[in-house]
Amino acid sequence: MKLVGIAGSVADKSYNRILLKYMATHFSDLADIEMLDIKDVPLFNESDDQTESDAIQYLKRKIESADGVIIATPEHNHTTTASLKSVIEWLSYKIHPLDGKPIMIVGASYYDQGSSRAQLNLRQILEAPGVNAVVLPGNEFLLGEVKNAFDENDNLKDAGTVNFLQSTLQKFVKFVTVINTMKHPQDTGAESEDLGATGKISTTVEGVDMAAPDWVEQAAEKTHAASGNDYVKLDRGLLTVDQLNAFLNSMPLELTYADSNNQFIYYNKMAPAEKMLAARTPDQAGNPLSMVHPKNPRVIKHVKEVIHALRTGQVPEVSMPVPGNNADKYVVHFYRAMHDEQGNYMGVNEYVQDIMPTVKWYLAKTGQKLEGNPDATTSASVDDAAPAADTTSSASVDDAAPEPAPQAAPATDADSSASIDD
Amino acid sequence: MNKFVAMVGTNAKVSTNRTLLQFMKQHFADQAEIELMEIADLPLFNKPENSPVPAPVLAMAKAIDAADGVIIATPEYDHAVPSSLMNALEWLSHRVHPFVDKPVMIVGASYGSLGSSRAQAHLRQILDSPELRARIMPSSEYLLGHSLDAFDDQGNLKDADKVAQLDGLFKDFQTFVTVSGHLNNAKDLNQKDTKNFDWNKL
Repeated sequence: MKLVGIAGSVADKSYNRILLKYMATHFSDLADIEMLDIKDVPLFNESDDQTESDAIQYLKRKIESADGVIIATPEHNHTTTASLKSVIEWLSYKIHPLDGKPIMIVGASYYDQGSSRAQLNLRQILEAPGVNAVVLPGNEFLLGEVKNAFDENDNLKDAGTVNFLQSTLQKFVKFVTVINTMKHPQDTGAESEDLGATGKISTTVEGVDMAAPDWVEQAAEKTHAASGNDYVKLDRGLLTVDQLNAFLNSMPLELTYADSNNQFIYYNKMAPAEKMLAARTPDQAGNPLSMVHPKNPRVIKHVKEVIHALRTGQVPEVSMPVPGNNADKYVVHFYRAMHDEQGNYMGVNEYVQDIMPTVKWYLAKTGQKLEGNPDATTSASVDDAAPAADTTSSASVDDAAPEPAPQAAPATDADSSASIDD
Repeated sequence: MNKFVAMVGTNAKVSTNRTLLQFMKQHFADQAEIELMEIADLPLFNKPENSPVPAPVLAMAKAIDAADGVIIATPEYDHAVPSSLMNALEWLSHRVHPFVDKPVMIVGASYGSLGSSRAQAHLRQILDSPELRARIMPSSEYLLGHSLDAFDDQGNLKDADKVAQLDGLFKDFQTFVTVSGHLNNAKDLNQKDTKNFDWNKL
């Protein structure tokens, strides 16, 4: 389970930060807790909207991709801090990443109150409609007289306190699971995915019809695109466009690039459509994703869920075997989120591959054979209802589907389409 | 004539809470001298250990010290006081303590019907803390709901009942300031306590 921790202080020294760090290191077997920094977040001001600033977008991204949030609040003047309140105001103004997010509150204070009033107040704030977080009820963790609570290595000294904190965190981990299971699929925000690519990103070529069969030629002319023997500087190397094409078209993978505006802008045209594992035709390049999928609402919903899960970082990759795989052929569509150096989402890298030749080659080389495993569970979690679970459609050597490791795909109906392309 | 500081509880450029205080300044001009105070110029409070108190904070503390009372108008963000007002109060309770025993009247306006009720309760709790120790006028609340429609073009409150209510409360506040002046037996001790209060010595 992935949690993020926010210490509600921008002071250089903060016992609340020390408390969260202690939880992150000491309870790493319960959850993966990443500390988020709020130091660079400006004081909220509705007349000077900073929602798009790096500091706030960073928090948004991290919170959206986390299963839950732990907030450690100091107490200033009988309430939580202005710096923490300011962060919550930013996260409830134009964006709402805390909506429906499970939250656990802890707090430390110099005096024996242990931030009790700040915690109560924070609860009230987090339940305001614009924030709409789901705060773990009860289970108050109040760390009073904090100056004497930690040893020189920043470990909590009192064993009873450690045990209580651990049991509280255990309850929170369960709470997170329950709350996130309850979430209605439409709450994922996937509906907001614009498959028509009506938006615009910095690389969108304007003034060229995305539906045009010669979009590539038109867009290339408009952008004075490099071609043929023109050199392209890459990370890491230098190739001409011809070399790049030869390289990509000889990959043992069918590659597709859908940008963050949901426009299908590239595939490696290695073979005519009828010989491809997932058919693409030259006139499709440039199309919005809505044009390269059937209008079936189930399919559309599924495509949106996959893209949104990748865009928001819920999963790094989604993999789906296609229906009709058999002992000689096991075609898998992999969808992987692409990011720039700053971690901004750049789109989906889809690669399609028949993995069976690789499996067979491996078996032959190592003198092994596939063996059925009666204990194997095909569907690992509620979030993994990918069509892969349909073992009857795959009749491998020993009647056990050699499934790739299950990825946490977004909730889908088992009978929905297998591929983003079909 | 009493002198009051009227603190605008937000850093927003446009606020009906500012409009409300501007109305009070002009409406009560024959009863008291009201000076508006903005909180937008303060940095984010980070509990600085050694750096000097910022100049705008010192200026605000000085003005509050010199006033007979403070009127605070608070909006409500997320069921609570805006962070910008919390921030101002954090600065005004860190090495300077102008609110100790200072009479305070709380008012508030909101776009919805509740008139910042939760923020006002929150603000009371904050002003009662040991490093602020303000004297908040008890049993009084001025909640101005639907504030976008509450004022006419000249910035006057349109609803006569709302004006009458404010008139009454303001008179009470003047009396409260007088009464508060007599509640001075613990004043020296309070001020000493607050000044000497040091979280690091607990």
